[in-house]
Amino acid sequence: MSLFWIVIRQLAEIQAMATSKKVITRVDWEKKLNDVKVRKEDMNKLVMNFLVTEGYVEAAEKFRLESGTEPDIDLATITDRMAVKKAVQSGNVEDAIEKVNDLNPEILDTNPQLFFHLQQQRLIELIRNGKVEEALEFAQEELAPRGEENQGFLEELERTVALLAFEDVSNCPVGELLDISQRLKTASEVNAAILTSQSHEKDPKLPSLLKMLIWVQAQLDEKASYPRINDLSTAVLEDPAV
Amino acid sequence: MPTSATSNHPSRPEDLIGRLNSPHTPYEAKLKALRDLKNQIIGNRTKKLAFLKLGAVPSVVSILSSAAAAQGGGGDNREFYESVLIQSAAAIGSFACGLDAGVKAVLDAGAFPLLLSLISHLNEKVADAGARSLKLIYQSKRAPKYDFLQQKNMEFLLSLLNSKNENVTGLGANIITHSCQTTAEQQALSEAGVIKRLVSLLGGSINQKDASLESLAAMVKENPEVSSKFMAPENGRALNVVIELMKDKHPRTRLLACMCLISIRNTSTSYLQDSGIKNTLVLVLLELLDDAGPVGDEAPFVLSSLITEKEDMQKIAFNANLIEKLCEHLNAGSYQAKRLQGIFLVLGDLCSKLECCRDRVLDLQVLNFVTEALAHDSAEVRTAACNFLKNVSRSVKNLSAGQFMNEAVAVPLIQLLCDASTSVQIAALGAISNVVVDFMAHKSVFVQCGGVKQLVQLSKSMESAIRVNAVWALRNLTFLVSYRCKEEILLELTSATLISLINDPEPSVQGQALALVRNLVDGTLNSINYVFGEDGAVLHAIARQLRSSSKVEVQIQGMYTLSNVASGNEIHKEAVMNQLLPQAGNDAEKTLVKFLQSTDSRLRTATLWALVNLTFPGSPGACRRVTELRNAGIITQLKNMVNDHCLDVKLRARMALGQLMIFGDSSS
Repeated sequence: MSLFWIVIRQLAEIQAMATSKKVITRVDWEKKLNDVKVRKEDMNKLVMNFLVTEGYVEAAEKFRLESGTEPDIDLATITDRMAVKKAVQSGNVEDAIEKVNDLNPEILDTNPQLFFHLQQQRLIELIRNGKVEEALEFAQEELAPRGEENQGFLEELERTVALLAFEDVSNCPVGELLDISQRLKTASEVNAAILTSQSHEKDPKLPSLLKMLIWVQAQLDEKASYPRINDLSTAVLEDPAV
Repeated sequence: MPTSATSNHPSRPEDLIGRLNSPHTPYEAKLKALRDLKNQIIGNRTKKLAFLKLGAVPSVVSILSSAAAAQGGGGDNREFYESVLIQSAAAIGSFACGLDAGVKAVLDAGAFPLLLSLISHLNEKVADAGARSLKLIYQSKRAPKYDFLQQKNMEFLLSLLNSKNENVTGLGANIITHSCQTTAEQQALSEAGVIKRLVSLLGGSINQKDASLESLAAMVKENPEVSSKFMAPENGRALNVVIELMKDKHPRTRLLACMCLISIRNTSTSYLQDSGIKNTLVLVLLELLDDAGPVGDEAPFVLSSLITEKEDMQKIAFNANLIEKLCEHLNAGSYQAKRLQGIFLVLGDLCSKLECCRDRVLDLQVLNFVTEALAHDSAEVRTAACNFLKNVSRSVKNLSAGQFMNEAVAVPLIQLLCDASTSVQIAALGAISNVVVDFMAHKSVFVQCGGVKQLVQLSKSMESAIRVNAVWALRNLTFLVSYRCKEEILLELTSATLISLINDPEPSVQGQALALVRNLVDGTLNSINYVFGEDGAVLHAIARQLRSSSKVEVQIQGMYTLSNVASGNEIHKEAVMNQLLPQAGNDAEKTLVKFLQSTDSRLRTATLWALVNLTFPGSPGACRRVTELRNAGIITQLKNMVNDHCLDVKLRARMALGQLMIFGDSSS
């Protein structure tokens, strides 16, 4: 049985628990879990929602063919969005900007924070490629005005420009800006903005379910001792401390 | 990573525009230049301004125009022309986005009709581009006014709202939100069935919900008829839908739902008055304050519209710990001007009537933030901080405790008296007027900081609003103030200025000036002597104004002033007597009697006090004055007032009559 099933059942079971504190053995618990009914269609929708929101187009297509689940957005629009995300993740920020503007010119015009982060990423990429002169020019021409237009960006701006001051960039205090994680962060921000502009939820439903599980287990911890899921990735039921 | 010369060195604006304008540039290159331009300006205010200055807009619009014309020809190049339409429309929209100068340039270049023609294009991307750009234009104050009252315009608007294209419906809603201003327009829209369509959009996508909520709010604002139409059964349970939207996942939707409900609430007092909805509105908005983005910036303004002038709402907000929340935000550090303005606006509203709010605010040390706010770059923040101060200093308890009369408050306030913005000056004057009513007489702080000089300067302003507030502030400053302070004030003010204020063309200024003199002569004999100096010119001015003015406020203050003077020594009493009953003239007698017969009990009371002081038995000349008054027929008049329905009047009339009778007995 898939981990997903287990997690969902766990959640449903706990939510139905009585209020007095007691000890529940694994045998009893698993029996209760087996009684919980979860529909396959609901699970499929959750999976599809996740694939679509995160932008896994091919996987979504395949899943649609194999499970018969219909996505709630037009898969064609996902392709455009994914092209943007991919461009950022590869460090082709200028390309990403052009694509976003083709998709919807309003997004960057009405999202100063996002625009700033994209420009910031461009600067980071220039520095990463050792193009110091160009980076300086870019910082002056493109980033400084952002700081002027909006004082809230000054701190970030200073941090980024600080990269230029260090010989060994990967070991300096602001070196984390060069991490791939920074690219992913920016890519995620762009993704969310595009989804919002298309009137779609920017967050998939699955994380919310998991959060609910964690919270609900914490609530139940105060009242009972029972087999918990401590590792979401394995969804293994661990026996109670008793 | 592949690079090319063009991608690392963006073309200079001049080059791009040159290429756009030149007839020699091949069309494909023009398209590329257009796209390039568009990508340079989107999100970049600085670049937009740079391109604007170089005249980019007319160039782009002319390309749009020729593409639109060439389109009609059809054929192979259709796709190409459509790309040109999309890129040029997008560029124009970007120029208009959030930039008034851009909107002006775009409209001046004649883009509007061209964009309109794009909306009905078969290619959805072209329609989108046109609709988006028009929407951005309509979000500006400079947008052309949409004439809803013309039939074909209304039909066009309805066609927009009924479109399947989300950008086009969004445009329709935006036009309503920004252009609908008069009752007639609201009525016309309502009659055309717009409400129904907007209500159906409430069930659409996020963007449609938001756009619709804003339009509905604009339509019902201050219009009870349209408001009730909105709630009529034919619109389904529209109100309930909006109420539900207060719990929507999206912060902006929640905010707009609140705004819409508040609009209805403020328009018709018969709806949305139950405590459940009142509480929910406060709680939802309270939580939205925490949003880091534009929603959090807007939330205080929406809150203000909910609670302003409404004591019950302020109480609910107080109980929900709104003040604590606002303080949290102030403590969190430097915010953008808009949010700071919003916070002080709401704090001002909360402190406008409720003492508990003022106490809480002061307990939480909000005054520590006021000093900085008073010196903020933004005029709106400065104004909001002043208004907040004005309201919180209505707390008599805290005024008496001297909470406000210190340098941290006085110095920045006084500086604002020279502010470049008139509205800031007036707001500062309002705050000063309250803050100087300090019973602990720490007013010297204010005087020392140069406040009097500034106030006197402003009392000579060309703007009557500033004059009246400046004199009001001076009036409050002189209330119960020490003799030394009075000296300093009068030295700065000079009798000449005082007289010209008493004779000011505006009755409101006259009234405040007279009240100022009243305060100046209130107290010891020295005060009276000092004000009236050698020639009694001021007294003369007062009496003249009393005779000529028809405004009761002026008459009351004038009479009290004379009454205060008449409480002095023999010389003072005689002086007043001479002004009230000069040897020549029936006019004067009539004035006294006229005042005693006034329908305003305050004026009757003031006049009686003057008489009481003039006929005070202890003073030597009392007898003579009584005779004069008697000859002027005052006794008869007084006898008519002994049973006046106003207690104050009744008591003073009897007192005056009693005093007059004392002398009557012995001199008959």
